[in-house]
Amino acid sequence: MFKRSDESLINKALNGDERAWQQLVSRYQSVLYYYGLRLMGNPDDARDLLQDVCMVLCRNLAQFRGDSSFKTWLFGIANYRAMDMLRKRKPSQDLDDIPELYNEDEQSHEQQLYGAQTQKLVQQQLRTLPPEQRLVVELRFYQQFTFDEIADQLALSSNTVKSRFYAALDKLRVQLEVANVGQSANF
Amino acid sequence: MLDNQQIFEAWLAGKITAAECEQQLRSDNQWYGRFLAAQNIRQDARAPMFDSVPDIDTSQLFRQQWGHKTAKTAWWPKLSVGMSAMALIISMSPLQLQLHGGGLALRWDNFDAAAQQQQFNTMLAGFQQQQQQYLQQQLQIQQQQQATQLVMLKDYLSENEQKARRSDMLELVEYLNQQRQADWQYWQDNAQPSQARLDYSSRSYLPNRTQPE
Repeated sequence: MFKRSDESLINKALNGDERAWQQLVSRYQSVLYYYGLRLMGNPDDARDLLQDVCMVLCRNLAQFRGDSSFKTWLFGIANYRAMDMLRKRKPSQDLDDIPELYNEDEQSHEQQLYGAQTQKLVQQQLRTLPPEQRLVVELRFYQQFTFDEIADQLALSSNTVKSRFYAALDKLRVQLEVANVGQSANF
Repeated sequence: MLDNQQIFEAWLAGKITAAECEQQLRSDNQWYGRFLAAQNIRQDARAPMFDSVPDIDTSQLFRQQWGHKTAKTAWWPKLSVGMSAMALIISMSPLQLQLHGGGLALRWDNFDAAAQQQQFNTMLAGFQQQQQQYLQQQLQIQQQQQATQLVMLKDYLSENEQKARRSDMLELVEYLNQQRQADWQYWQDNAQPSQARLDYSSRSYLPNRTQPE
């Protein structure tokens, strides 16, 4: 089926076409929500972030000039709002206070099929990273942006982005090794 | 020559496979560890998420922000499409626009039925001829294909027959060998001892042999 481009939907929305706006929002709604869920760590904050981003997007829609892709531009907004929300949180949050991203009782069979154990472990370790590093990992792996695109979004140099990325990987490497040793010791 | 960071980034960008990257980074603990951690995250990123996405109502927000702009649709594309459609209909119909006596006249073309019939007949004859040529061509191709297949079939059958004959001969030779071996065995087991006894007894009655007194 014919799929309208983001730019075409934006133009229509700017001319007052509400359906085009709804279509644009629904196209990125789930991506943004899961992004929030991973970054913020709980559904309430993820929902707040989604609402916040949609609001900012609606207000600033006319400012999209098409220099980069719409997704890159949208995530520029989302990153800024997410960092803002994370900074407003308690500065040090104990690991035990971090809510579970997935409730095991609510896990579906599909989740179990996809190696939920490893998935859960990786997600837990990701949440222990400093927000700046977590954001870079999220954008590189989960949103599949290039280092240059991430640098554009965060208004940083590509080298800074890379050094945050590799620092995050080094921490995760150590944490995953420890977790794996702990897991195998339990068996 | 690529350094380890370049190799790792090439894998991230999908330019090399995970196996290639793993092989090249295995000797460097730091980069190999990074690669393994990255693989874990990538695997997690590829797994689908099943959490329900909350519905957020942005329509009111949109109406407040952009609603005053009623969806305006430009009139000229519609006019353009309409004019094109009209031009198409006029060109396909017998409707004719003629400059007649200093003025434009629009009239239905009074077409000649006989001429049209003749044109139709000519076209039909042409079509029939074309079809016949096509059928003839197809027939020739089919015959050629059939001949080729027959030759191939003949080759195949003769080859098979040769093979069968060869295997029959082999079986026969094997059978004869077995028979020969059995005969030899029989001769060794039965005929040879009898022959030996016969020889012995005949030697013991030789006339020039000295008999005990």
